[in-house]
Amino acid sequence: MQKNNVALRVTIATVVIVGTILYLAVTGVNANKSYYVTIHELQSMGNHAYTRHLRVAGNVEPGSIEREGAHAQFTLMEQGNKLRVDYTGGDPPPDTFKDNAQALAVGMYGRDGVFHATQIQAKCASKYAPAAPGAKPSETASMAQPR
Amino acid sequence: MKKILWIGLPLALVLLAEGFYQAIYVAPTEATMGNIQRIFYYHFPSAIMALLFPYVNFIASIVYLSTRNSNPLRAQAADALALASAEMTLIFCTIGLATGMLWARPVWGIWWTWDERLTSFLMLWLIYVSYLLLRRFTAGGQTQTLAAVLSVFAAIDVPIVYMSIRWWRTQHPSPVIGGGPNSGLDPSMWPAVWWNLAGWFVWGVMLVTLRYQVERKRQHAHQQSVQQVLETA
Repeated sequence: MQKNNVALRVTIATVVIVGTILYLAVTGVNANKSYYVTIHELQSMGNHAYTRHLRVAGNVEPGSIEREGAHAQFTLMEQGNKLRVDYTGGDPPPDTFKDNAQALAVGMYGRDGVFHATQIQAKCASKYAPAAPGAKPSETASMAQPR
Repeated sequence: MKKILWIGLPLALVLLAEGFYQAIYVAPTEATMGNIQRIFYYHFPSAIMALLFPYVNFIASIVYLSTRNSNPLRAQAADALALASAEMTLIFCTIGLATGMLWARPVWGIWWTWDERLTSFLMLWLIYVSYLLLRRFTAGGQTQTLAAVLSVFAAIDVPIVYMSIRWWRTQHPSPVIGGGPNSGLDPSMWPAVWWNLAGWFVWGVMLVTLRYQVERKRQHAHQQSVQQVLETA
């Protein structure tokens, strides 16, 4: 008799806990459907775009990076869409942040059409290729500072 | 115990030494990331092993669950293997996480993010931490059974970890190996990958075998001490 009681209680507890976790997971997923949005999605979000904290992905347009210390301005592009990004944050951009790199900007889209980023993350390519002989892979001068 | 040590250890060391040489000296410097990309030759094998050994743990746990009443001796052997492979998985998973974070900081700019690949892999790590804690800190006959149940969660998590970069948008790169066009390793990088995969696999198998043998000895010693108590009672 006691065994059945315990088994029942454990089962109920498990169902409650798993159910809670699932609920949190589902609502969490809905709130943050994608890890990042593309420029195209950002620009078709309408008013939502201005009220959400977002992460936008794109490739850095060659020649568009302007840097002064930890402040940077650049243009992200993706399939013909362009997005001007203004980054002001504590850390300098990561080492791999250069022309044509895949980058993620985290922040808010301003009504002025500029994405105000508080964080820049680089996304690594899925293709590893050797550096052209003689050319050193361009290294940014700054080593990432510890947080 | 000596046989596996005398064969496995030198073999593993030779493979790993060659793998080190290939990874650090032979493989070309990567175009966008530079030399930091060489961590890949350690990060990738560790992560792959961390996705393989859970299935050793899972299958051994299933064998344990199905034979614990009908064939207790086999069940104990299966449980020893389950424990050994769980510990090995945790080691590989830790190395995978650590190498990943060390690599991420300079190239992504962050130590960590809660994307699907990293989160599910951390989940695997947590499952095995709890597996080992369970085995260490619970007493009584149910320990091995409960641990076997945990291995089911791990077996479910592994495909999620593997497919996460295909199913979702993640911070972690999309598949490099087996991905679509615009992905892949330069052919000159493959030797380093193969040598390190082989080396870490042999090392993992060797350690699991040694650990299994140690656990079996502990089980026998435990059985004998129980028998002695029963006989002198």
